[in-house]
Amino acid sequence: MNYIIIVIALIVFFIENTFAENFKYNLKYVELADGIFVIEGDNTRLNSINGGAISNTSFIIGSKGILVIDAGPSALYAEQVISIIRSISSIPIKYLVITHHHPDHSFGVSSYQELGVEIIMSSSEIHRYEKYGKRLLRQMKNLIGEEWFLNTKIVDIENNKVFPLKINLGNHQIGIREYKNGHSEGDLVVVDIDEEVVFSGDLIFNKRAPTIPHANIDNWSKYIDILHNNKWKILVPGHGPIIRDKEELYMTKNWINYISKIAKEAVEKGLSPAEVFDKGISDQYKSYHLAQEVWNRDLPLLMKKYEYQ
Amino acid sequence: MFKLYLFLFILCFCNSATVLLAGPFSDFKAGAELSEELTSSPTVNRNMPTSDSLDQAIKNLDPQNSVMWDELRENLLGINSRVKFVEDVKVIMQDHVEEPHEVPLIVKIPKRLHAFTKFILIIENNPIQQVIELNPYKKIEALGMNVRLEDDSPVRAAVLDQEGVWHVGSKMVFVASPGGCSSPSCDPTVEICEQGEVGKIAVKQYGREGKAERIKLKITHPMETGFVVGVDGEVIPEYYVNKIHVDDNNGPIADIATYAALSSDPVILLDLPEKGQSIRVHVKDSQGLEFFSHNTM
Repeated sequence: MNYIIIVIALIVFFIENTFAENFKYNLKYVELADGIFVIEGDNTRLNSINGGAISNTSFIIGSKGILVIDAGPSALYAEQVISIIRSISSIPIKYLVITHHHPDHSFGVSSYQELGVEIIMSSSEIHRYEKYGKRLLRQMKNLIGEEWFLNTKIVDIENNKVFPLKINLGNHQIGIREYKNGHSEGDLVVVDIDEEVVFSGDLIFNKRAPTIPHANIDNWSKYIDILHNNKWKILVPGHGPIIRDKEELYMTKNWINYISKIAKEAVEKGLSPAEVFDKGISDQYKSYHLAQEVWNRDLPLLMKKYEYQ
Repeated sequence: MFKLYLFLFILCFCNSATVLLAGPFSDFKAGAELSEELTSSPTVNRNMPTSDSLDQAIKNLDPQNSVMWDELRENLLGINSRVKFVEDVKVIMQDHVEEPHEVPLIVKIPKRLHAFTKFILIIENNPIQQVIELNPYKKIEALGMNVRLEDDSPVRAAVLDQEGVWHVGSKMVFVASPGGCSSPSCDPTVEICEQGEVGKIAVKQYGREGKAERIKLKITHPMETGFVVGVDGEVIPEYYVNKIHVDDNNGPIADIATYAALSSDPVILLDLPEKGQSIRVHVKDSQGLEFFSHNTM
């Protein structure tokens, strides 16, 4: 009898442990330059294994304060990032920059607010976050599991920032610029001026097809040229591995221009998206990670936009 | 003590099982009536399809394997209907659908059937199985529309010829996240949710080869299925366009009966062999409202 109890207890213990593991982010950071850290997201679609941690989170540890770039998909995630930061440094976390309102970048915000961190986000994206946040949160829960979003809540964010903005972290000088109506209505790009590191948010995707739900392709394409022409050593994209070779920015630019061109032509001819899907994606773009999925989702949206604008 | 452990064991096992069960395709199929489970949690995340899915598609398409088909045939095509499954009625749409609320499709009809007398589009595993029934007054070469898919389903286009035989073209479609009929259709993660003016009709005409043309109409309408629970927890009652009449200066082109299996803001494409003169569209909905097009040519 005792044996049975012990065996069952062991099984319970084992299952509980593996079960608990299912809802824990496995976050690893790398130090890119002096005091600059990146936690790379799982560069794929949202799923119940990655818990929505698909985009990159960065933090800069200055002598006077710490600045975090992007809040991640949930409170659970943000808490883990905060504990990682705390394991490296005891300097106060002073600023959180949210590059845009998409859930994988913004939903961890409440954890920072509770610590009294100053939130930096463009006014249009605060508006979107507050307007669509609750519905988005419900959808995220449906999509990848309620458990990931324990304690995640949609909060009010103070809308008082004017860009460009300069922040002095002591030994790191930070510039933040807003790029209006590109990938989103107000993407923020963060630059560490001394170290020449750029944090582009989702203006740049690396090693995967970029998604375009709120995009203005022409502006976005121009912004990529601007980023390309600026002086930097390292660029941290919104998704995917860090970039040192400027040519890699054209992966994003070429894709958005290609999908936009196909959508415009289809609208002019009065095609159904079904007919465009039937033709397939050209070989050059088929090799992008998530190409088919992003194509299927974004092409009809773009066609609709071009048709009724 | 033992009971406690046993309880914990069962509890944990059940929890893990639900996680494990999110395989590529569940065996579940939405029936004619939507189950409670489906209306309460419509989106089950599923992995991308595997190579097995092609075999599965072929199997599912065979009407002999369909529990639904005989009844559907009797109800929609007629008790004594004669049916031929054909290759040349082509249902063109994605094999794997990401966004099930608005799935564009086009049915290309072969030349031998251009003078058909009735067209019905059926989505077998939808709670609303019939999408449209079209009665033409002229030859039609292709028909397009955007539809809702509740779950993986055969999509069948039935074309009635002048001898009274139905020619049915089929396509198996897999849905990544089910719920096209039972979850809210606007997804703020990917689009801006703003309800347009109900009953607004946009008509566009496009030249095709020679004199042939395509008519495209878009009707702004919520097309509520009656299966969606709103933000306030109440079921949103069904409300949809149920009749579309298309004509031009030379007389009627088609009468279309429509159902809420069409997406919100439905789009209809009609390929005609000849150019229409001043296309007009007259629409009625399930609340008895009527709408007329302003030709936007």
